[in-house]
Amino acid sequence: MAIDQVRAELSKVPGTPSSTSRGAKMSQGLLAMILFIGSEAMLFASFFVAYFMIRFNIAENDWPPVQDPATGERFELPVLLTGVNTAFLVFSSFTIWWAEHRLKHGDRRGLERGLVVTMLLGLTFLLIQVNEYIHLGFTPKDQAFSAAFYTLTGFHGLHVFVGLCLLLICYLRIKRAHEFTPTWSTPLVAASLYWHFVDVVWVLLYVLVYIV
Amino acid sequence: MATHAPTHAPAGHGHHGEVKPLWYWWKRAIVGTMVGTVFAFAVMFFFRWAFGFDELYKGQPYAAAIATFASLGFVIGIGNFDWWWRYLRGKHVDYEDHSLHGARTFRDYFRVNTDHKVIGVQYLLVVLFFFVLGGIFAMLVRWELAAPGHTIADGETYNGYFSVHATLMIFLFVIPAFAGLANYILPIMIGAKDMAFPRLNALSLWLLIPAGVMLSVSPLFGAFSSGWTAYPPLALQGTTGQTLFNVGVQFAGASSIATALNFLVSIATMRAPGMTVWRMPLLVWANATTSVLVVFGTPFIAGSQFMTMFDRIAGTNFFNAGQGGDVVMYQHVFWFYSHPAVYIMILPGFGIISEVIATFSRKPLFGYRALAFSTVAIAVLGFGVWAHHMYVSGMADWLRVPMMITTIIIAVPTGVKVFSWLGTIWNGKLHLKTPMVWALGFISTFVIGGLSGVFLGTLPIDIQLHDTYFIVAHIHYVFFGGSVFTIFAGIYYWFPKMTGRMYNEKLGLVHFWLTWIGFNATFFPMHWLGIQGMPRRVADYDPRFADLNLFISLASLGMVAGTAVFFYNFIYSWARGPRAPWNPWRSRTMEWLVSSPPSLFNFDAQPQVVGGPYQYGIPGARHAVVFAGEEIGGGELTETERRTILVVASETVASATLLDEIRERAHEGVWRFTFVVPAEGREHRAAERRMQLALAVLAAEGVDASGTVTDGSPILAVQRVLAEEPAQEIMIATYPTGTSRWMAQDVIDRIRKISDLAVTRVVVTPDDARRPVTSDAVRQVAVIANDTLGSRGLLQAIQERADERPLNAVVLCPLSLDGPGWTDEAERVRQEAAERARVTIGQLERAGIPVRGEVIDRGPVEAARIARDDFAADVVLVCSFRGRDHADDVLPGVERAAGGAEVEHVVVDAEAPTAPAGS
Repeated sequence: MAIDQVRAELSKVPGTPSSTSRGAKMSQGLLAMILFIGSEAMLFASFFVAYFMIRFNIAENDWPPVQDPATGERFELPVLLTGVNTAFLVFSSFTIWWAEHRLKHGDRRGLERGLVVTMLLGLTFLLIQVNEYIHLGFTPKDQAFSAAFYTLTGFHGLHVFVGLCLLLICYLRIKRAHEFTPTWSTPLVAASLYWHFVDVVWVLLYVLVYIV
Repeated sequence: MATHAPTHAPAGHGHHGEVKPLWYWWKRAIVGTMVGTVFAFAVMFFFRWAFGFDELYKGQPYAAAIATFASLGFVIGIGNFDWWWRYLRGKHVDYEDHSLHGARTFRDYFRVNTDHKVIGVQYLLVVLFFFVLGGIFAMLVRWELAAPGHTIADGETYNGYFSVHATLMIFLFVIPAFAGLANYILPIMIGAKDMAFPRLNALSLWLLIPAGVMLSVSPLFGAFSSGWTAYPPLALQGTTGQTLFNVGVQFAGASSIATALNFLVSIATMRAPGMTVWRMPLLVWANATTSVLVVFGTPFIAGSQFMTMFDRIAGTNFFNAGQGGDVVMYQHVFWFYSHPAVYIMILPGFGIISEVIATFSRKPLFGYRALAFSTVAIAVLGFGVWAHHMYVSGMADWLRVPMMITTIIIAVPTGVKVFSWLGTIWNGKLHLKTPMVWALGFISTFVIGGLSGVFLGTLPIDIQLHDTYFIVAHIHYVFFGGSVFTIFAGIYYWFPKMTGRMYNEKLGLVHFWLTWIGFNATFFPMHWLGIQGMPRRVADYDPRFADLNLFISLASLGMVAGTAVFFYNFIYSWARGPRAPWNPWRSRTMEWLVSSPPSLFNFDAQPQVVGGPYQYGIPGARHAVVFAGEEIGGGELTETERRTILVVASETVASATLLDEIRERAHEGVWRFTFVVPAEGREHRAAERRMQLALAVLAAEGVDASGTVTDGSPILAVQRVLAEEPAQEIMIATYPTGTSRWMAQDVIDRIRKISDLAVTRVVVTPDDARRPVTSDAVRQVAVIANDTLGSRGLLQAIQERADERPLNAVVLCPLSLDGPGWTDEAERVRQEAAERARVTIGQLERAGIPVRGEVIDRGPVEAARIARDDFAADVVLVCSFRGRDHADDVLPGVERAAGGAEVEHVVVDAEAPTAPAGS
C-alpha cells in the first residue's frame, strides 16, 4: 500500500490529525529562548532571595549598612544617576523593537540602524555602571549587603554583556550573511527577547534595591 | 559495538567524506585545555595586578579561574563550537549540518557527535564510569566504618570519601543516567528523527565530562569535606577540592539545564502527528515534568554555589554573620533546588517503571491519566517542601508546620503511582524478564524508602532523627532502591534496542538478586542504627554499633559482586550476545517499531500515532504506524513485513564476501533476500547445490532468505523473478572486472536499466568463491579414498549426500606407503594419487560442492585423524571398490581415530554403469 493510501485510511479514524501535530507550528528557537529566560529569571530570583534574607536581618533605619570608615557617614546608593541609566536601558528596549519593526517592513537599513543604536545604549549603560562601581565607596568585601549588591548588579551587567554579544552576532549575520527576512528572523527575535528580559530584570532590580 | 549505519542510502546527508580522525579532535581538546589554563592564569594575574591586590598569588581564585577556563577550553577544543564559530564569522552555515552525525565504528563514540542515539550511549558509558568511581568511594566509606576508631582514614579524609561519593552519584550518575536513557529513547518514542537541538545536545554531554573530572580529582587537592550539601561555614574552610566542587557543580548544572531545554522543546514541537498529550508514553510525561524542574530549579543551586565561591575566593561575606551574612539563607537557596532535585532523580525512573510494568504485565496500564497527573503534581508540590530539610537549622519557626503538611501531602501522588503499578500487575500475565524483576524490586524497596520519608517529614520525628543513620537509610532506599533500580530496569529493557543484541537473562537475574539482597542487608539495619543515635558523616562511632556496622560493610560486598556481574553481562553481551529482534518484548511504543539499533534518522517517513501507548491485550488496538521510506516503496513497516533484495550470483553465490555483505544488510532489519542463480545452460544441479549451501548458512543465522535457480542469462532471470515478486534493491556478485564474464557482457548496467532499481555490486575473487564457508549449518565431510578417486560411483555418493544437506568436502588420499618416503617410486605414487585427487576435486567443484584435498603418505587411520583434528570433520566417508580391499580391517581403526565423527563405508562398484553427472 502506498504511503498516501495508508494516510488516507488513517485520516478516517476519529481523533487522528492527518498532518503534523499542533506543537510543530511553534518555533523551536523561540520556545528554547523563553525557557532559557525562565531559567535565568530563577538565577536572579536566587540572588534576590539572598538579598532580602540579608536585608531582613537588619533594622530598616540602618539600611544600607555600609559606612565610610573615615567619617562614619552612611553611603547612599546613587538613585538619580542610576535612574537615568535605567532610562537608557528601557529606551534600548524600544529601539530594538523599532529595529524589528523596520525589518517587518523590509527596511534592512532601518534594522541595522536600530541594532546599532540599541548596542550603543547597552554599552552606555555598562560604562555608567562601571563608573558607579568606582564611585560607590564600598567594596564587595565590606558587608553581606555589599556582597549581595555587587553580585546582583554584577550578574546583571554580565547579562547585559551577553545580550550585547547576541545582538552583535545578529548584526554580523545581517552584514556578512545577509540573513533575516521579514518572514524569518528567529535568532533576531530570540536575541531581542533576551534583551527585553535583561531590561525587565534591571527595572526590578532598580526598584527593589535602589528605591525600596 | 553497535553502529548506526543508515538503513538506506543517506542521500543528501552524505557529508561523511570529510570526517576527521579521532586523534585530531583530542589533540585540539588538549590544546584547548592548555590554552584555557594559561588564559585563566593570565586574566587572573592581570586582574589582581590592575586592581592592586596585596597578594598577587592566592590559591583559590586561581584554582577557580583555571578550573573554569580549562573546562571551557576543553569543551571548545573537542569541537562543540565549530559550527557556532562559522556562524559567528558570518560564514554560510548549513542549519541541517549532519557532518558530525551517527557512528560507523566505535571511534565515533569518542568524538563530538550530534546523533541523539550516539549521545545516549556516550552518556551511559560516562555515567557507568562514574558509577564505578562513586562506588569505590562508597566502599572506602564502608571500610572505614567496618570497625570503630580510625580504620583507614582520619576524619578529614573520611569526610572527603562520603562527599565525593554522594556528589559523583548524584551529579554524575543518577541525573545524567536518566538524561542518557531518555536521550536515546525519547526522540524515537515521540516519533522524531533527533532532538530539537542536536548541537546543544552534544554540548550537554561534553560539559558533563569536565564536571566529572573536577569532582573526581578533588580528593587529590584536599577533598571537600562538607558533604554534597556543602553548607557554609564548613564549605568556606576547605581547600582547592572545595573550589573544584563549586565549579564542577556549575558545569554539571549547565549540562542538566541544556538537556532539559532540549527535551522540553523536542517534546513540545516534535511529536509525531496524532500524538496528543494523552497519547504520550509516561516516560515522555516524566521527562517533560522533570525538565521543567531542572530548568527552573537548577539556577538555585548555581546561585548558592556562586555565593559560596565568592565567599571563598573574593572575600565577600554572604555567610559571615559578623558582617550581616546569613548561613540559613544558603540552606534555603540550596534546598529550593535540591529538594526538587530528588524528584529530578526519581520522576524519570517512575516513567521507566511505568513502561516496563505495562509491557511485562500484558495489560493496559492502570490509571494512565492518574499516573501522568501525579507526575505533574509531584513536580508542583516539590517546589513547596524544601524546608523539611531544615527543621533543626534555626530557620523561621512558622515555616515548620506548613512544610510538614506539604511534605506529607506529596506522598499522596507518589502513592497514586504505586497503586497504579500494583493495579496494572493485578491479574496481569506477568513475564518475569530481568527488567520486570528490577521493576518489582524497585516497588518493594521504594515503598520502604517512601514511607520512611513520610516519617522524616513529620516534625517531631525529624528532630529526633536528624543527621542520624536513619537519614542515610532513607536516602539510599529512595536513591539506590529507587533511582538506581529504575536505571538498571531501563538499561536492561532498552539494551536490545540500543546495542542490537540481547543480554544474558540468567546473569541479569543474578545481578538483581545479588544487588537486592546486598542492598537490603546493607541499608535496612541502618534504620535501627539511626534510631539508636548513630550520627551520619562521622568517621568514628560508639563501640556498641560495631557488630552491626561490620555486618553492613560485609553485606555491601554483595552489591559489588552484583555490579561486577552486570558489567560482565553488559560488555560480553554487547560484543557477543545474540542478535536482538526489533521488538523482543512485544511492546507498543514507537522505539520498538523500528529496527534494533534504529537507522541513522530513526524513521524513514513520518510515523503516525493512532492510539494510546499501553493498550496491551485489547484486540485491534494500536499505538502507532511506522512507514517505510519512499525509496523502498512506502507502506507500513513492520518486522515481519520486509522489503526484498534480489541477490544475483552464479559461481560466487556461496562465497564468504557475498555472505558477509548480506549479513551486514540483514542487520538493518528491514530486508529479506531472494537469490537468483542463473544456470546459463550449465549444470543446473551444481548451481542448486551452491545456492542451498548459502541459504543454509544464512538460515542458521536467522537471515530471511530464499532463492531459485533459473535457466538462461542473468538478465532473463532477473526479469522473470521481478515479474513475480517486487524487489527494492538488487545485489550482484561478480568476479573482478577482467575475469568476470558478466562484466564483459555489461550485465550490471543492463539489469539497472531493465529493473530501474538501485544495484550494488559485490566483487568476489575466484579464490574466495572456491574457498569453503565455515558454518554450523554446513557439514564437513572427509572423503578417505585412494583407488576410487575419480570414479563416478564416488562422485555420485558425495553428490547424494550434498543434496541431503549442504556440505564442504575434504578429499584425503591415504597412500599407505610401506617403504621410505623419499624414493623415486614413492614420489611417482604420490604424483599419480595427486592427479586422481585433482580430477575428483574438479568434478566436485563443477558439481557445486566446495572442496579441498590432501595426499597423505600414511594409511587411512592417520587420514581419519587428520580429518578430525585439522578439518573438524562431522562425517568420514571411507571409500573402496567392491571386493577389492580390506575395508573391514581398516574400519575399526578409522572409527577410533575419527573420534566423534560419523564413519560411513562407501562401496563403489568398479563396473557401475556411469550415470551422467547432475542427473
